[in-house]
Amino acid sequence: MTGAGDVAQRPEPPPTGGPATRIGTGRAIAHHGELVQGVFEDDNGRLHRALVTLPLARLQSEATFTRTNAAAVRVRPQHRTKAAEAARLTLAHLGFPGAGGALSIASAIPVGHGYGSSTADVVASIRATAAAYDVKLRASSVSRIAVAAEGASDAIAYEDQAVLFAQREGIVVEELGGALPALLVVGFKANGGQPIDTLRLTPARYSSEEIQLFRVLRGLASRAVRLQDPYLLGRAATISAQISQHHLPKQHFNIALDIANRNGACGVQVAHSGSLIGIILDLSEKGAHQKATAIAEAASDIGFKDVEIHRVNEEAGR
Amino acid sequence: MSGHVDYFRALETPRLARLSHNLVAAAFPLMKLMPARYILDRAEACGELKAGAHIVETTSGTFGMALALLAAARGYLLTLVTASSLIDATYKARLERIGATVIAIDDPRGDGNQPGRLDCLQTILMSDPECFWTRQYDSPRNWLAYARLAEFLVRAMGKVDCLVGCIGTGGSLCGTGTFLRTLFPDLKIVAVDTHRSILFGQPAGKRMLRGLGNSVLPANVRHDLIDEIHWVGAYPAYMAAHQLLRLHGLFQGPTSGAAALVAQWVAKTYPDAQVAVIMPDEGHRHADTVYNDQWLAALPGWPCEQPSVPTTLSRIMPATESEWTRFSWQRRSLDDVLATQSLR
Ligand SMILES: Cc1ncc(COP(=O)(O)O)c(C=O)c1O
Repeated sequence: MTGAGDVAQRPEPPPTGGPATRIGTGRAIAHHGELVQGVFEDDNGRLHRALVTLPLARLQSEATFTRTNAAAVRVRPQHRTKAAEAARLTLAHLGFPGAGGALSIASAIPVGHGYGSSTADVVASIRATAAAYDVKLRASSVSRIAVAAEGASDAIAYEDQAVLFAQREGIVVEELGGALPALLVVGFKANGGQPIDTLRLTPARYSSEEIQLFRVLRGLASRAVRLQDPYLLGRAATISAQISQHHLPKQHFNIALDIANRNGACGVQVAHSGSLIGIILDLSEKGAHQKATAIAEAASDIGFKDVEIHRVNEEAGR
Repeated sequence: MSGHVDYFRALETPRLARLSHNLVAAAFPLMKLMPARYILDRAEACGELKAGAHIVETTSGTFGMALALLAAARGYLLTLVTASSLIDATYKARLERIGATVIAIDDPRGDGNQPGRLDCLQTILMSDPECFWTRQYDSPRNWLAYARLAEFLVRAMGKVDCLVGCIGTGGSLCGTGTFLRTLFPDLKIVAVDTHRSILFGQPAGKRMLRGLGNSVLPANVRHDLIDEIHWVGAYPAYMAAHQLLRLHGLFQGPTSGAAALVAQWVAKTYPDAQVAVIMPDEGHRHADTVYNDQWLAALPGWPCEQPSVPTTLSRIMPATESEWTRFSWQRRSLDDVLATQSLR
């Protein structure tokens, strides 16, 4: 159930008569896969599939929602049907089920590698739709609507706040205790850069030992966020990536791990349902950029595709 | 973890005590609740343990107490098979008051009569197909349960460089150590045993310090995880327990004393390492013995001089109850170590 408390401001009434002119825009960021992904127990002892997203603010999707008198939501490009569904669900959430509008999406996020392009479109659409009614939704509401629209989604509505997010339920299992530390991520694509159809992936079946190990990884990630320790975070990411190798293996993952170790990186993360690999560095460490350059060269030389250096959670003006 | 009421989860959670700048103790009221609860939870989830079913185990120790409490709260029947030499009347009465059936079989040789206990347990299992055996010696669920302790230590300490703990079934130290070493591959694991326990290659014999050590080898003891093994006699363990109370206000059992003795030495020897030590139970059960001056005074050779450092052995051999020895195990299998020993 969603109550009036979920919306920060009271929406104005739906448009009556005459063409509506209110336009809302919304943006959402991409991600670079996950720091940790697995199965985790909640306070009641129930298990949830959940993840900690590695946000990537540089790549974004932008949506515009224009209120119209039509009885339906139209979307451009046409195949962004989940984004249109998200807009419809947002209208219903705001109290205007069946209201019409024109949704358009412009995204810079590549599809099919684990950058979360689909969730970014959906979240941008939800925000744009709400904005057209002068409403700013909370991250928790945005996430819940996003999951309802696409079945599973990432935690990007929380931006740089580290949360353990149940991607199929749209709920936070644990707030890890603040923002992620500032990181440099040398990202690239494994498996020859071939995209993966994430919809066709079956969820991983984890062993008892893996589930118990996830518990410890969660503790490590929480400690890393609370103490802003990129090395502990990198360690948690590396182990999660190693578990992922048993479920959706990436070619030459061990080579990436070796490059990370040889260059004194904090660890290696992956898109658990994509082809991305990221080598994590401490952005605040002296010489981090030189390390990143050396790692990027090594990764290119070995044949990894589309090697890029990303800044994660860098302080503004640095 | 907030917002949820779960008594046993709270009771199985240790309290952390800082014993020195680089030594943190996880002091449990009743550590065995952690594996007991996990084993029952998993068995319930898998359908191996049905509502109202009969649980059996061969133990007279703290695992039996943990099972008794959980069985009472969850409505299971519980039968604990032990040997007459291993259980005192008070503890038996306490288990029975909780609702457990305690079968104490004869033990003419005084070695715990494990074969006889297993025979008795098999008979019970045969007579009741719904019967569930928790198997703390061999079930991987024993060690898997300690991911909770590893998580707890990591949240509190971050990187752990060295883990010290007792070995009885091996569940607590090998479980916690497995998970922590996955996170921190350089983790040093130091095991605490007692003289005349067979776990690390000593010949079997009468042991005075109970709760750790064993006369049979459980599958949950994973020798290749262990960097260093210490054998602590009963007297240094008792004295270390007294010291925990006087210097730190911690009222723990004698195996906690043994673990503390070793951990304090490890922490002093490696001042730059963050050391964690596992303390399995509280002192109440030992109030009439380890914490009773009259009982202590009647012990042959008590009080002894408290050793401040262990004697390093190159050849594994038993020592007296006032001694403390150690051996560099180096993550080897029992067979490998025994082979090198016989070459000497
Ligand atoms: C008091 C006490 N200390 C130590 C241990 C040893 O723990 P573990 O069986 O996990 O090796 C036990 C186990 O029975 C115990 O009861």
